[in-house]
Amino acid sequence: MTDQITYQVTVADLAALMKRTAGVNVDPDDLGRQADDGFDTFGLDSLGLLGIVAELEKRHGRSLPEQAERCKTPAEFLALVNTSLQTGA
Amino acid sequence: MRERRRDPRHRGAAVTGLGVVSPHGVGAEPFWKMTADGTSSLTRLGRDGCENYPLKVAGEVRGFDPAALIEETYLVQTDRFTHFALTAAQLALDDARWGPADAASPYSVGVVTAAGSGGGEFGQRELQNLWGQGPRHVGPYQSIAWFYAASTGQISIRNDFKGPCGVVAGDEAGGLDALAHAARTVRRGTDTVVVGATEAPLAPYSIVCQLGYPELSRSGDPGGAYRPFTSAACGFAPAEGGAVLLLEEERTARERGAEVRATVAGHGATFTGASRWAESRAGLARAITTALAEADCRPEEVDVVFADALGVPEADRAEALALADALGPHARRVPVTAPKTGTGRAYCAAPVLDAATAVLAMEHGLVPPTPNVLDICHDLALVTGRAHPAELRTALILSRGLMGLNSALVLRRSAASSSHRRSTLV
Repeated sequence: MTDQITYQVTVADLAALMKRTAGVNVDPDDLGRQADDGFDTFGLDSLGLLGIVAELEKRHGRSLPEQAERCKTPAEFLALVNTSLQTGA
Repeated sequence: MRERRRDPRHRGAAVTGLGVVSPHGVGAEPFWKMTADGTSSLTRLGRDGCENYPLKVAGEVRGFDPAALIEETYLVQTDRFTHFALTAAQLALDDARWGPADAASPYSVGVVTAAGSGGGEFGQRELQNLWGQGPRHVGPYQSIAWFYAASTGQISIRNDFKGPCGVVAGDEAGGLDALAHAARTVRRGTDTVVVGATEAPLAPYSIVCQLGYPELSRSGDPGGAYRPFTSAACGFAPAEGGAVLLLEEERTARERGAEVRATVAGHGATFTGASRWAESRAGLARAITTALAEADCRPEEVDVVFADALGVPEADRAEALALADALGPHARRVPVTAPKTGTGRAYCAAPVLDAATAVLAMEHGLVPPTPNVLDICHDLALVTGRAHPAELRTALILSRGLMGLNSALVLRRSAASSSHRRSTLV
């Protein structure tokens, strides 16, 4: 994860979304420490990630890039989502 | 079948575990107690949002807390019918004292379920989101939760079963067809198959779908809504819940020390057209004859019949005549029962519950009665009032679907079975 980005979606937000949309209980600190591990190691499947993307799109009132739902790790996902939200790309 | 049994390569399909989630309770034990006592669990439909429909009486599963039984990751992506299925599957595995260590490999365990309506409650919620708020508000799990195949998939995933899987969409009778398909899967080389059906049709959308069935009882009296084989028959009361059975290859089951409680001996299925009940006579008789032939079973060997018992006069008459056609004079003597009048008809799950009841009845030497039914107007030895003690070795289970499928299944008590769970209830 790069430092230059202002994080609109934090690790804690992602942990809360994983719980709400997919029933996955993960400690935000663990998620932060293991941010380069695959989503599958936390028990989140591809439909679960799709639900998180939809939830963020509703929350921020804009579409996210298609690659968002194909991200393999929390780090990759947060970087993509936050870059996209910041630049409006 | 007897010739085949002597063949050392013969693979028999043995029932080793029962898992039940029904209006009578969660678990085979409370279910059997209520069933043997002839108790009715039919009540006025009280589910939220279901109060103002012409359907007034149903069999609801009460006191079922899925969160206490199933992990949250499964709960959020599944409907109530799959919550029932996951629970019943776990109960069946536990009942058979089967654990992951008993599998030779994940590929040696398969799953087969039947479903009549899929996940109506989940589907309604998401469709309301769609039309109330827009497509972005529909959760992605909608794509799998309301699908007929959901329970087979989720049972497999939760338990890491990778053997042959199947879903039977065969109307109510599909519950028996699923058992037959599972037995064939065992014969063809899979050691263990988790098989059954559960339904959750008591949500507003699902109820509206059923209101078009002329066979659905509109009675508001829990004691009078579902009274098959009587002159007061006025249709059937629907139910939720169901059963899952563990089927294992007979020899493999014995080798791991499991009790072989019954074997799936024969099956037959026919189609005679939706709501053409008079014609179901010939179809049901043919299904019975086919099932008995596969089981190498003479009509006189049938010790108990679990009737379809639709509760529509024309259909009840057709069933009584089908039994006479297929069993001859034995049809007037053999005890017939329809314990489902105490729970309601849980569509595909109804005959699977009957199969579970048949196993328990054979073990206890007791034919359970037909609740709420007293004055029979057909030439059948229907067991009413109290349970009827009898030595039971062979059970015939019948099921017909509203869309015209007829099935018969023969279960036999294992000849080598030593335990006898004779009941103290009578």
